Amino acid sequence: MLIELHNLKPKYMSELEVSGSDIYLQPTVKFERGRKYMVCARSGHGKTSLLNFIYGSNNAYDGAVLFHDDDSTPLERRRRKLSYLFQDLRLFPELTALENVQIKNNLTGYKSMAQIEAMLDQVLSPEKKHQPVATLSLGQRQRVAAVRALCQPFEFLLMDEPFSHLDLESSQAVAALVLSEVESQGAGLIVTALDPIGLFPFDVTLNL
Amino acid sequence: MLKRLQRKTLIPTQIAGYAATLLVGAAIVMLACQLYADLRPLLTQQTDVFRGHAITLSKNVGALQSLNKRGIYFTEREIEELERQPFVAQVARFTSSGFHTKASINFAGQGLYTDLFFEGVPDRYIDVRSEEWRWDSTSNFIPVIIPEDYLSLYNFGFAESQSLPVISKGTVEQVSFTIDLDGNGRHRSFRSRIVGFSGKINTILAPEEFLEWANREFGSAATNPPSRLLVELADASDERIPRFMEEHNYSIKQDELESSKMVFFFRAAMAFLLTVALIIIALSVAFIVMSLNVIVQKNHDLFCNLYAIGYSPQQMARFYRRTVGIITVADMVAATTIALILRSLYVGKLSTVFTLEGSVWPIVIAAAVLTAALIGIYNYIILKTIRGTVEP
Repeated sequence: MLIELHNLKPKYMSELEVSGSDIYLQPTVKFERGRKYMVCARSGHGKTSLLNFIYGSNNAYDGAVLFHDDDSTPLERRRRKLSYLFQDLRLFPELTALENVQIKNNLTGYKSMAQIEAMLDQVLSPEKKHQPVATLSLGQRQRVAAVRALCQPFEFLLMDEPFSHLDLESSQAVAALVLSEVESQGAGLIVTALDPIGLFPFDVTLNL
Repeated sequence: MLKRLQRKTLIPTQIAGYAATLLVGAAIVMLACQLYADLRPLLTQQTDVFRGHAITLSKNVGALQSLNKRGIYFTEREIEELERQPFVAQVARFTSSGFHTKASINFAGQGLYTDLFFEGVPDRYIDVRSEEWRWDSTSNFIPVIIPEDYLSLYNFGFAESQSLPVISKGTVEQVSFTIDLDGNGRHRSFRSRIVGFSGKINTILAPEEFLEWANREFGSAATNPPSRLLVELADASDERIPRFMEEHNYSIKQDELESSKMVFFFRAAMAFLLTVALIIIALSVAFIVMSLNVIVQKNHDLFCNLYAIGYSPQQMARFYRRTVGIITVADMVAATTIALILRSLYVGKLSTVFTLEGSVWPIVIAAAVLTAALIGIYNYIILKTIRGTVEP
């Protein structure tokens, strides 16, 4: 799959605000499967909007978002082609860490229970798996959300400021897990960040 | 897991409220449908207790008509006009006897006799069912039906005031008497007995076939045109009927108008009951729809997050569809049971007076139609509400 953006601009941002962007209002921007992209920008410059436009959860944009070799509906795409680690995590506070991952995996049936537990064990202390997410710290939740994002087949993984609440050690653990899954699926990676991050071997860095 | 998340979103008091109002509304709807189906045959049959849709029509007798009798007869033109009216299904004439009739009885060694007349109408208008009500030209027996009013007049009027014993219908039906027919220079005697009492036709009835035969044997060539008609109404509650009767100076037996009114009131009462029940059901539907809306609004984040990780609106709707569906079906089963119990109560009471032949199908059909309609509405609304909330 190839993602192509044409003259993309959020409807709620002026041309002045997006001037100088490597992505917004550019005639063509391509994201190719198998490559890793970092998108850097200060806050309020439309990083989350960009990922939401690609993911199909926000349609308030001018221009076009095209998927080559893919005619699936946005919902089908979410289950098989695109995975997304949301900045606001979108976990279910009343479910445990394990259940939050399972609820996604039940939909895709992509990982076995043992695989899920092993992934959680890599990033979280074992006793936290069975605690309701509401009782976990923000950093712990971010790790749970990262594991959840890996429980499905994808051609692109979108990560919105994935390490914003993590210390270096935790970030490295998450990055290693993500990288191995992205490599094994031969997927593309699009990561947004406030400042450049060195945890992934990025092919392309774009400023928004 | 999805079910566990969604179960917490339900508001038990609102669901209980829905279940209770739907139960009441549905039970009334089913009972109204069943009651209508059970009692309708009684209202539409010719021989029913409410006198059905056949009325006896005569002309009003004024001072002039008592001298000039022509005015009390119906002309062919008038009958044809009557037949043309949209509210008239059929018109039947009274056959009268064109010969001299005398009834006699031997009572305590003394012969009593009286002059008599007979009239005949088609059998289907007669509200008396008797095995003996038939004429056989080879037999020597004439069955007779007299108005119930005659017996009432004697029992409650004459016997009461003269301290005489009252007589039951059974007693009267056991008394045989002799009928002598004279005319055309011929004479013949018959045995006769009263075989029934009509609450509907105010005359002394003999079988129509007998009268036709007797008129040929004993009657003079010229017979009078009919002075009374039996009119079968297409719709007894048609408001043009009283106007037409008044314009043409025709008189209808009051009872018969009353029965038409009764049919009308019965229908109106049923319609009212059904309307009230349907309003209750509509309120219960509005109640659960509002409750579902509140659930979706209150749990906006839950639905949006589920959608964000790939759950479709259909998958999210499934739990609510199933929950509301199960409650609705359980409610309908309970309402059907209640309606059936109430029906058995009223059937128990009414069957002492009427014969109710209806089945319980109306309750079952009403329940099935209502359940299907409600579940269809809910399935549509639940999906629409969820979709409206999660889709960008």
